[in-house]
Amino acid sequence: MKLVISNLTKTYKNGVKAIDDLNLEIGTGMFGLLGPNGAGKSSLMRTIATLQSPDSGSITFGDINVLEDKMALRKVLGYLPQSFGVYPKLSAEDLLDYFASLKGIGKKSDRQALVKEVLDITNLYEVRKKHVAGYSGGMKQRFGIAQLLLNSPKLIIVDEPTAGLDPAERHRFLNVLREVGTNCTVIFSTHIVEDVKELCNDMAILNGGRILKQATPSHARKELIGRIWTKLIDRDDLEANEAKYNLLSSNYNEDNTLNIRVFEDEMPGADFKAVEPQLDDVYFIALKQDEPVLS
Amino acid sequence: MFSTIFFHELKYWFKKPAFYIYMAIFFMMALFFAATTAGIFDGLTASVGSSLIVNSPIGINNLINGLTILIFFLFPSIIGVSVYRDFKSEMHTILYSYPFTKANYLFAKFFSSILIVSLIVLTIAIGMFIGFRLPGTNGDVVGAFAFKSYFDAYWLFVLPNILLFGAIVFAVVTFTRNIAAGFITVILLLFVQGLTESLLSDPSQRYLAALLDPFGSAATAYDTRYWTVFEQNELHIPISDAILYNRLIWLGVASLVFGLVYRFFSFSQNAMTFSLFGSKKSERSTKRNFGGITRVNLPKVSFDHSFFQNLKTTWKISNFDFKFIVKSWPFICIVLVGLIVVLFGLSDLGNPFATPTYPKTWRMLQGGGLFVFAINICTFLYAGLLVNRSKIASMNGLEDVTAIPNWSLFLSKLIAIVKMQIVLLAVVLVAGVLFQTYKGYYDFELGLYIKELFGLKLINYVIWAFLSLAVQTLIRNPYLGLFVMIVLTIGIPLLTLAGIEQDIFKFNESPGFSYNDMNGYGDSLGRYLLYKGYWFIAGLLLLIITALFWVRGLPHGFKERLTIANSRFTTPVATTFVILLLSFFALGFTIFKQTNINNDRYTSKEREQLTVDWEKTYKKYEDYAQPRIVSVKTNLDIFPKKRDFEASGDYLMVNKSNVAIDSVFLNHNDYISTFEFNKPNTLVSEDTIYHFDIYQLKTPLQPGDSLNLHFEIRNKPNTLLVTNSPIVSNGTFVNNTQLFPRLGYSGGELTDDKTREKYGLPPNELKPEPTDSTALGNTYISKDSDWIDFEATVSTSEDQIAIAPGYLQKEWTKDGRRYFHYKMDSKMLNFYAFNSAEYLVKKDKWKDVNLEIYYHKGHAYNLERMMKGMKASLAYNSENFSPYQHKQLRIVEFPSGSFAQSFPNTIPFAGDAGFIADVDDSGDGGIDYTYAITVHEVAHQWWAHQVIGADVLGATMLSESLSEYVSLKVLEQEIGKTQMRKFLKKSLDDYLTQRTFERKRENALMYNDGQGYIHYQKGSLVFYAMSDYIGEKKLNNALQRYVEKVKFQEPPYTTSVDMVNYIREVTPDSLQYLIKDMFETITLYDNRVVKATSKALDNGKYQVDIEFEVSKYRNNEKGRRFYADEGRDSISYTPEGKTRPILSLPLQDYIDIGVFAETEVDGKQKEKELYLKKHKITDIHNKVSIIVDEKPSEVGVDPYNKLIDTRSGDNRERLQGE
Repeated sequence: MKLVISNLTKTYKNGVKAIDDLNLEIGTGMFGLLGPNGAGKSSLMRTIATLQSPDSGSITFGDINVLEDKMALRKVLGYLPQSFGVYPKLSAEDLLDYFASLKGIGKKSDRQALVKEVLDITNLYEVRKKHVAGYSGGMKQRFGIAQLLLNSPKLIIVDEPTAGLDPAERHRFLNVLREVGTNCTVIFSTHIVEDVKELCNDMAILNGGRILKQATPSHARKELIGRIWTKLIDRDDLEANEAKYNLLSSNYNEDNTLNIRVFEDEMPGADFKAVEPQLDDVYFIALKQDEPVLS
Repeated sequence: MFSTIFFHELKYWFKKPAFYIYMAIFFMMALFFAATTAGIFDGLTASVGSSLIVNSPIGINNLINGLTILIFFLFPSIIGVSVYRDFKSEMHTILYSYPFTKANYLFAKFFSSILIVSLIVLTIAIGMFIGFRLPGTNGDVVGAFAFKSYFDAYWLFVLPNILLFGAIVFAVVTFTRNIAAGFITVILLLFVQGLTESLLSDPSQRYLAALLDPFGSAATAYDTRYWTVFEQNELHIPISDAILYNRLIWLGVASLVFGLVYRFFSFSQNAMTFSLFGSKKSERSTKRNFGGITRVNLPKVSFDHSFFQNLKTTWKISNFDFKFIVKSWPFICIVLVGLIVVLFGLSDLGNPFATPTYPKTWRMLQGGGLFVFAINICTFLYAGLLVNRSKIASMNGLEDVTAIPNWSLFLSKLIAIVKMQIVLLAVVLVAGVLFQTYKGYYDFELGLYIKELFGLKLINYVIWAFLSLAVQTLIRNPYLGLFVMIVLTIGIPLLTLAGIEQDIFKFNESPGFSYNDMNGYGDSLGRYLLYKGYWFIAGLLLLIITALFWVRGLPHGFKERLTIANSRFTTPVATTFVILLLSFFALGFTIFKQTNINNDRYTSKEREQLTVDWEKTYKKYEDYAQPRIVSVKTNLDIFPKKRDFEASGDYLMVNKSNVAIDSVFLNHNDYISTFEFNKPNTLVSEDTIYHFDIYQLKTPLQPGDSLNLHFEIRNKPNTLLVTNSPIVSNGTFVNNTQLFPRLGYSGGELTDDKTREKYGLPPNELKPEPTDSTALGNTYISKDSDWIDFEATVSTSEDQIAIAPGYLQKEWTKDGRRYFHYKMDSKMLNFYAFNSAEYLVKKDKWKDVNLEIYYHKGHAYNLERMMKGMKASLAYNSENFSPYQHKQLRIVEFPSGSFAQSFPNTIPFAGDAGFIADVDDSGDGGIDYTYAITVHEVAHQWWAHQVIGADVLGATMLSESLSEYVSLKVLEQEIGKTQMRKFLKKSLDDYLTQRTFERKRENALMYNDGQGYIHYQKGSLVFYAMSDYIGEKKLNNALQRYVEKVKFQEPPYTTSVDMVNYIREVTPDSLQYLIKDMFETITLYDNRVVKATSKALDNGKYQVDIEFEVSKYRNNEKGRRFYADEGRDSISYTPEGKTRPILSLPLQDYIDIGVFAETEVDGKQKEKELYLKKHKITDIHNKVSIIVDEKPSEVGVDPYNKLIDTRSGDNRERLQGE
């Protein structure tokens, strides 16, 4: 099923245009929504998840007109917000049972079976009797996935789920997400390029409420082959290089020198050497092109 | 650093709209109250009286402190939250690493929030100041502005209380990090105050209560309790020992609490927690850091989004929310403390004379009174916490995207609240049953508990739940919402003061219901349920409002919420809304039509106007000669099931005057009536409002001629809402004036002179002086008759007995109804009553007098006691005064009302006035009021039914004071002189307390206007003291001579002056001052023991040295003190070390000096009188030495409180041994 967003606009009371005439089509599989903090990712995801209404535009998921029939979408939606709390003094098992009820599972045995399964999947079974409020960050995120699975969602929206997780937790989380996302549409927002690279078969870069680029990660990289260059410079030469080249990123080395990456169609100079394009480059290029032009 | 944080906090509040909302609310409330008490709504509703200055120091203090109680409910969200806020916003993680000290932080937080609440309460004073002076207020009741009144209220009470409660709430919220806990603390503190108040209500414990009341109001009351009207208007609250110590104690507690906060507060990340089971052992925790790949293979389950499934889910969520409530500490505290409070309340319940009643279930149900408040607060609070539950826990993002409909969410909250209410109401049930069991009373009447708690009371709370849910949904801030709800619950009933009097205009207001053993709920139930049904529909409308504004998803601005509400207002919703609205209006209109259109309903303003017009129109006929009723023959048919009656009767009237009478003024009730005279006449004036009809006789009735009136009366049918008859289904008690016509103008005028002036009426003298010989033609019981012959046939349903004065001539049954024919064999007053109920009868005999008690099945507890009382009273009165005039005496139970009333040979006696008293006969228990009331009422057969006063000032002294005197004397015979102190103290306390509520004037006993506190309490004290001073025999002999002269007399009737003259005659010269002090003036003593010591003498005796003070003063009718009679001097004495002299009227008085010992009788400490003698006192300051035989323990000046003294507690003192 396809999620189609057209001409979506949302302006907040304080004048911030969080979504600006946005159009997007998302098919089955993992879709990465990449963007810096404040790009409008969460606004977009909340809007899709029926938590807020846009000023104009439309969203459809398969046959469902999301803005008109929120309840229909909610039946097939799994949503994990960027941050969430849980009721204190309740165990994972109790809370999941509560969510299973909210999601329309009437039979107690059904709920029990399902809760057990999602606890297994998210590797929380052993701590199912513990209060969720006492979980570590990673466990809590996995709990988020567990609750999201309860209605066998067709559309899964996860908002920056890996922020703040340790590497092991992050891996585990992404694996589970990947696993559940096989047969449905998963929209996955992040500002970590790595996440998208590892998981997504489609992606879009969002900033200022607009889609700057939509492509598959591999295709996006392929486009850049032969146009990304790098060289080693001294810290003091950075400003000069910045002025001269289309600089994408710069990283310190241990000896206070810098590796810079530039984006040029031709080799900018002899001291540059061509490198394999990274998804980061795609990201930075997209952002760079959208920067306000200083005059 | 202190000032940085301090001003930052202030700025934070100054920017918040809530701060200004709170100020506005308090300002408006103060304005409303002040303006209302000052009579701004006099144009809309009844006039406020004129005797009390509303902005007197004590008036201002009471209003400011009353309103300040409300601000305690804001403490958790203002003071409590000041530290908690930093945790919640997780600022503490940064803040606590900054370089400021704990003291800076805590003091700045605490005092900035204290300043904020102080600013809010300051608006109360401003609102009051303006409110008193708004245009339209009554200038007569508003005095000049006195800064000191406001200032004292603030610095003595309000500010210390803010500090105290602020410190406690600050501590609780800071440590628990739970605002709700702060709230519950406030409620518990209010509970504690209520509890100490009721536990320490005994006069002897008032000083302790004064010290322990955290609000300080008991301390104020301690000093101002007996203030007369004059004193209330003029005096500032004294900064006395009680107030000062109270304030110091509680400021100390506040400092201690704050000190503990300071001691234990640490800049740490985690809230303080308390664990019941000790802390768990700590463990090192590691986790598996490498997880594999799992296959996701969810089991197939069925999803059901049907309506039915959603209903089931709603129930399930409500359980989930309900568990949240019952597991929360605040709720558990409320239940536990509530249980204790209710139990305490029950133990102190309904014992007018410190004697409890049997724990009948309906009595238990009344005991939940204090708990009402708690259930309401819990409803308001948890409505807020549930509505915002997912938001507070940041779980709304997860919950709101599930496919659960909105209605399921808010309905589940409502159901959870109702479940909570059921649990809380069950607390009342449990408390009641526990209490009954403890008392060994096992007739639990569970059905009644369930019906009343989970039926009648629950529906009231559910309607509040609807409103709370709507308000909390709209406001979305649980604590602001709670506050708004509290203001609404307090404010809505008060709309009455602004002239909105009818229940249909005030949310959830309704007529009440009451239960008694005889008549159950009577007709109150249908009315109550109809109104509650009406408000329930309003509740459903509110539920739709909730639905429209329910927030799903992210916070919306108000405008967006309106748009969403609009989009949710779909055709089905709108249709439902309109249907509900129409039925609400339809039902409202039906009620309105029934009560206002089909029935004459008057607002209190209209009633006031009617009273004025009545007087203006008909008072002129007051002195017209009218025939006097000499004989009454009547038939009354009572239909208990339908609550109807039909009556007919014949008055035989005689012109006893010496002029011809041309018109008869028939003053009757609002029943369907026909009147027929046996002489030709024309109806020249018929009044359908006052029912004062004037019949002109064709030929005037000549002196000595007689006239017959035949009348037939029946009630208009009763409806669900309007009761048109005094008949009840079991336990009818109705007197002649409620049913039958009277002759002539019957009074009932406005008494407040200022109000009268407003309506152009002359000042009201209430009644003529006893010296006014023209006023002696009527008794104070009736104005149209002297002594009558009486005969009545009363019928009722087959299962009931009907009773009227007189002797039963015949009883028969016809057509399934029972008939009783009663006839009186001697002359009696035109004052009779009818009773009908399913009675059991207890019979006995005293000499040749038949004694009968008609009682309700199951109310046999005190029949012996009543019989004994009847016999003792018959004996005392007939021995001392004159023979009993009847051959029979009956006590007849009626349902409730806490009183008894004496009719000729018949005494209707309320079921709750003695039938269910649980008397402790050991002598240590309370007052045996069943016995006392019985003696009193029987004494009325003499003191009212033989000796009846003319309708002038002081008339009730001849009946009520004397009956009460007899009651005390009979009790004294029963229990002995030394036990009388508790009765006398009780009378004294009641007299002194009730006179402070006098709004017109207080006259001396022999000129009293008929106030209960004068003729019962003061009267009994005076006659008891007189009998003590001149001797019981001497007094009674004088009374006997008086009775002999005046009993059954025809007009002119006797007055208090006659009786006092008889007493004066037998009073020795040395005691003549008593007549003046006790009967002719209001004279009070201030007696106290200053110091008392004792030492053992060589001969085995003991010498007691007593230093004491005696002083007395008079009060004028407003309660102003005078220490000298007109044109005379006063005496004075300045105690050592004091600057203000004690003043007194000149003394030539005899005062009891007593010495007491403690002896052990049957293992109990009892008091033994070693010495009691009247000493002649001429000076204020006195010293005496008394030798007694045994080791003394206590001394006293006027130790039995025979004299009127506003501080009766200092009359005795325990001896300091040497």
